[in-house]
Amino acid sequence: MQNDHENKNSSIFKITLNLTAVCLVSGIIIAIVYYLTLATIERRQLEIRNSTMKNLVPNADNFIPAEKKTDWFKAVKKGELIAYIVPSESKGYGGIIKLLTAITPDGKVLNFSILDSKETPGLGDRASKEPFRSQFIGKSAENMIVTKDPGNKNDIQAISGATITSRAVTLGVKKAIIQINDFLQKAK
Amino acid sequence: MHKFWKIFIKGFVSENPIFVLAMSLCPALAVTTSAANAITMGLSVMFVITANNVVVSFTRKLINPKVRIPIYITSIATIVTVVQLLLQAFLPLLYRELDVYLALIVVFAIILARAEVFASKNSVIPSFFDGLGMGFGFTVAMLIIGIIRELLGNGTVFGYEILWSSYPSVLVMILPPGGFILIGYLVGATKILNAYLEKRS
Repeated sequence: MQNDHENKNSSIFKITLNLTAVCLVSGIIIAIVYYLTLATIERRQLEIRNSTMKNLVPNADNFIPAEKKTDWFKAVKKGELIAYIVPSESKGYGGIIKLLTAITPDGKVLNFSILDSKETPGLGDRASKEPFRSQFIGKSAENMIVTKDPGNKNDIQAISGATITSRAVTLGVKKAIIQINDFLQKAK
Repeated sequence: MHKFWKIFIKGFVSENPIFVLAMSLCPALAVTTSAANAITMGLSVMFVITANNVVVSFTRKLINPKVRIPIYITSIATIVTVVQLLLQAFLPLLYRELDVYLALIVVFAIILARAEVFASKNSVIPSFFDGLGMGFGFTVAMLIIGIIRELLGNGTVFGYEILWSSYPSVLVMILPPGGFILIGYLVGATKILNAYLEKRS
């Protein structure tokens, strides 16, 4: 049967045609599914972004895009600015870590959230959990240093076994604060 | 029905993809640091392997044997892309967890192997059960590795604390070397189990 098959079908033209047809069909299938899901995916991403911002600044009642800065948002409560929400990136153990940080107008961290990371599951991904996460709250740029000394309460305690991730996240948050500080300085 | 059951169940113990065929060990190491990740990955693979077996078996007379491998890969890649799009649209939170690993399913040796060894030579229904059984065996193996690694490495299972709270995490279990050591022991255990089952029958 194998031989029979080969004699009939082994011309390079037929082989090419066979593979082309398969690729065409799979391309069409993917295109259709992509087209059908596109609107839903975009809506879901918007929902996730809004709920992420809501988690960062739970007492805000509205999020408005900041002027002049794309991707920056202002968290507003009853018309009063309570925090800037700024995205930033830094290089971790497994690749780029994308962060979203909420910073008060006086340059202190309100909260942060890791949007995307490829850190080791069960080890580096503890950076988004307690007790690491809450260390950042209320601190400003000069305290964004990773320490391994358990007595040092001013700086950021490293996650044991994930120092590179701890440093990367800390640096990412620091970058966000510096951006905000620069922005506020210019505004003055 | 008995025939299909036999095709299904062989993927579970006697031809378990990870413990006996020793295939797809890389993802078995990478994703099994927690039980939840392990089972989601297992189920995704189960779906892709079954769907791909059906597609390959369905089209086996149309495919030129000289280009069968690229065609199988194209088919797997198409299924994985469709799964990715659907997850993104309907289960976006789960998608965020699995993002990195989902694309990896395309190059899982076990899926290509089942297409080549079984689905390309058998009709649709047996191929369906073969994929389902192999996927099931893969999922169970992943789950066992995931539970043990999460328990020893972190003191939790599915995120729930099982061991006492001052349990000193055995970090090596979360890291790849611990995974390798554990898989070695489990391969040994499966060998003993299979030898026992053979002797009894």
